[in-house]
Amino acid sequence: MSQAFEYFSMGWVDPYLFFLTALGTFAGIYVGAIPGLSVTMAVSILISFTFAWDVNEALALMAGVFMGGVYGGSRTAILLNIPGAPSAVVTALDGYPLAKRGEAGSAIGLSTVMSFIGGLIGIITLMIAAPIISEFTLMFAPRDYFLLAILGLLLVGALSGESLAKGIFCAALGVTLGMIGLDPLTAEERFTFGNLELTGGVPYIAAMIGFFGIAEVFVQLHHLDIKPIRQNLEKILPSWKLVKKYLPLSLQTSGIGVIVGALPGTGGDIASLLAYDHAKRITKDPSVPFGEGAYEGLIAAETANNAAVGGAYIPMLTLGMPGDAVTAVMIGALFIHGIQPGPLMLTETPHLFWFTVGNLTLANLCILIFGLTGIKLFSKIVQCPKGILLPIIVVLSVVGTYAIQNSVVDIYWMFGCGVLGYFLKMYGYQVAPIILGIILGPMIDVSYRRAALSVQNDIGLFFWEFLSNPISLILTASVFLILLNQFRNRKT
Amino acid sequence: MKKSKLVLWLLLTSVTVSGAAFVHFTLESPTTNYPTRNIQGIIMWGAGGATDTMSRAITPYVEPQLNKEIVLINRSGGAGAISTKYVHNKKPDGYTLLYGAENPQLHGVLGLSDIDYSEFYAVNVLARGISVIVSHPDQPWRSLKELMDDVKARPKEIKMGSTGPGGLPYVVGAMLGSEGAFEVIPVPFDGDGPAITALLGGHVDFLPSGFTATAEHIRSGRLIALAVVNDKEISLLPSVPPITLDYPSFKKFLPWGPFYGVFINKQAPRNVKETLTKAFHHGASNPQFIRFVNDFGAIPMNISGQEADEFLRKWQSVTTWLLHDAGATKKSPTIFEIPRP
Repeated sequence: MSQAFEYFSMGWVDPYLFFLTALGTFAGIYVGAIPGLSVTMAVSILISFTFAWDVNEALALMAGVFMGGVYGGSRTAILLNIPGAPSAVVTALDGYPLAKRGEAGSAIGLSTVMSFIGGLIGIITLMIAAPIISEFTLMFAPRDYFLLAILGLLLVGALSGESLAKGIFCAALGVTLGMIGLDPLTAEERFTFGNLELTGGVPYIAAMIGFFGIAEVFVQLHHLDIKPIRQNLEKILPSWKLVKKYLPLSLQTSGIGVIVGALPGTGGDIASLLAYDHAKRITKDPSVPFGEGAYEGLIAAETANNAAVGGAYIPMLTLGMPGDAVTAVMIGALFIHGIQPGPLMLTETPHLFWFTVGNLTLANLCILIFGLTGIKLFSKIVQCPKGILLPIIVVLSVVGTYAIQNSVVDIYWMFGCGVLGYFLKMYGYQVAPIILGIILGPMIDVSYRRAALSVQNDIGLFFWEFLSNPISLILTASVFLILLNQFRNRKT
Repeated sequence: MKKSKLVLWLLLTSVTVSGAAFVHFTLESPTTNYPTRNIQGIIMWGAGGATDTMSRAITPYVEPQLNKEIVLINRSGGAGAISTKYVHNKKPDGYTLLYGAENPQLHGVLGLSDIDYSEFYAVNVLARGISVIVSHPDQPWRSLKELMDDVKARPKEIKMGSTGPGGLPYVVGAMLGSEGAFEVIPVPFDGDGPAITALLGGHVDFLPSGFTATAEHIRSGRLIALAVVNDKEISLLPSVPPITLDYPSFKKFLPWGPFYGVFINKQAPRNVKETLTKAFHHGASNPQFIRFVNDFGAIPMNISGQEADEFLRKWQSVTTWLLHDAGATKKSPTIFEIPRP
């Protein structure tokens, strides 16, 4: 135990490591906030950058960037309606309406505190239950991923605004967009019309920037003469009473975040979607309706995506398997530094586990500190005259989109999605279900076919497996209960 | 007032777009001395994959030789066809490198693209990966022969992890299939990692996989290696028999495995080719890089030019014909004048 504590505090007592973690977190917040610059990209670049460094130093910096980056995505989501990262899509749903109401300051304050709580729960879970959870996640079969994605898709009801039909239309549009490209199982071309660029599929971050950021800019062009709302900057830190009130909710959504984050193949984006769905279901009367600036929605998204960070480390540290794209890059970094990632890492390089836990804890603390400073300045962005703000958003969107993979085609996609999003918005369609479809569509597609293939396309056996396996049974039951519940609510 | 703002806004937008385009084009201006500015390295696969790791591991050893930075960018998609075409369409001045894996050699027969490595100059084929056939310890098989006998006894019942047509498990499966009846249920995953996770969880029964990703699981006993797809034992897996022990006819396919290399357009000037070849050769000879390759479960190759071409041609011939005979190709290798091995 004292050994563990010694490893844990390595990053705290060594001033240089301490500095690196803090620096990483700070840089991560800003990388995360810029749409198109992803944490995965930042950590990849750090591999070359930290090549000659000691492995501990490299890991400290990367842990900071990871933690900070996931949090940073919420900044632009709240202020400009452009999610800095896919995991912040859900943050924009209620964060941006809050900013429009003049509560950008308190929205950022709340998201910072909640990210901290989510992050902390992720870390604690990693600390005490990593081996159990990693064994648990291995039990998830393709059919369970299928059910999980279906659960996520049910969220369309919550995201569709005034009309469920329009919501379903948008989700279907998203699923269709997600199908473009090479079939992930057979490499067959789908909807590519023989065009090579289309075989790469819709670059989904570019689509996200278009549908959220650019479409909103176009809509705002109608209101150029309307003065921006003055931001209320009196109260930024959420009161203790508020935090306490939402503690049960934030614990639940963090729990969802950890598990979904630990599942290989799902990360912060799906975690925050499922958490938002959960929050919407269990909250009987939210502060204001969801989608119009409900605190509950913001809390769910921000706790879940930060808890997913701790979750993603679970399979990486216990099995050497990535929990998401960022930890996949980190595993590569471990190789380059001469460490063999795998199940024996816990015993052969014992310091790694507790050292990482220590770094993450430190990075999480840094989020609280860096996140709560400068809020007043950031909130002023929303007060900027639109003639200045809107072009800046467009510039940022173009640069961010180009940065994803230096592709001009991505910029076309972004503007195309922006124009489409604008018309959809003008006719009362919500763009969030499109993103939901793009994220979940491919997951439903491949996991369904994988599950079917595993049983030799035997339909009886296919459904029997949904009931004969405990995890599948629980997921199937949840899907049915939610559907039944919605049906009943609609009747009354 | 309102109108002027709109004009300003449109102006700014167009400036940005043309600015991006400007940066895009200035990157291509030709030079006689090489290199006079930073080089762009396009990685064929996404961040965190084997190609990505290999590319990021070699680059820092090469940069000091060139006195310039190589800026690495991941451009995945189309199973590598997009980055291959992108680099091929760039001006052949050596300022755009392709960090690629084996995939373009199959794009022709899979109907994805007509561009393969014959359009490129192989600056360096860095290493080739070793494949192993692994299974879960709960399964009764302790050798490849036992597995194969069981497959024959219970056709269409045993689940094989796969990564789709043309992927490593698929090709090894096709090799096994050339030995006679081999009816398994292939369940495709997104890559080695997810397939191994599924095997660990018992959702598939066995998996031909890159050694890199399975090494530590084999060492910890969570997975059992039935055979190494190589013609001799490898030092990292001393007790596991080579596949040729039970199936000597496999010799004709070997050496086979995924490979990782650096390529430039064939039209590049000779001095560019020479400078790059020298730099990468020096980098790939670094003992630290060699140690990394070994740890990574791969075999260092460090070949270029003619020698690399021969390797690439043999690889293409073996693999495309295997796939063609297994019925997995869209176009026959004869269309591309690929000789039968």
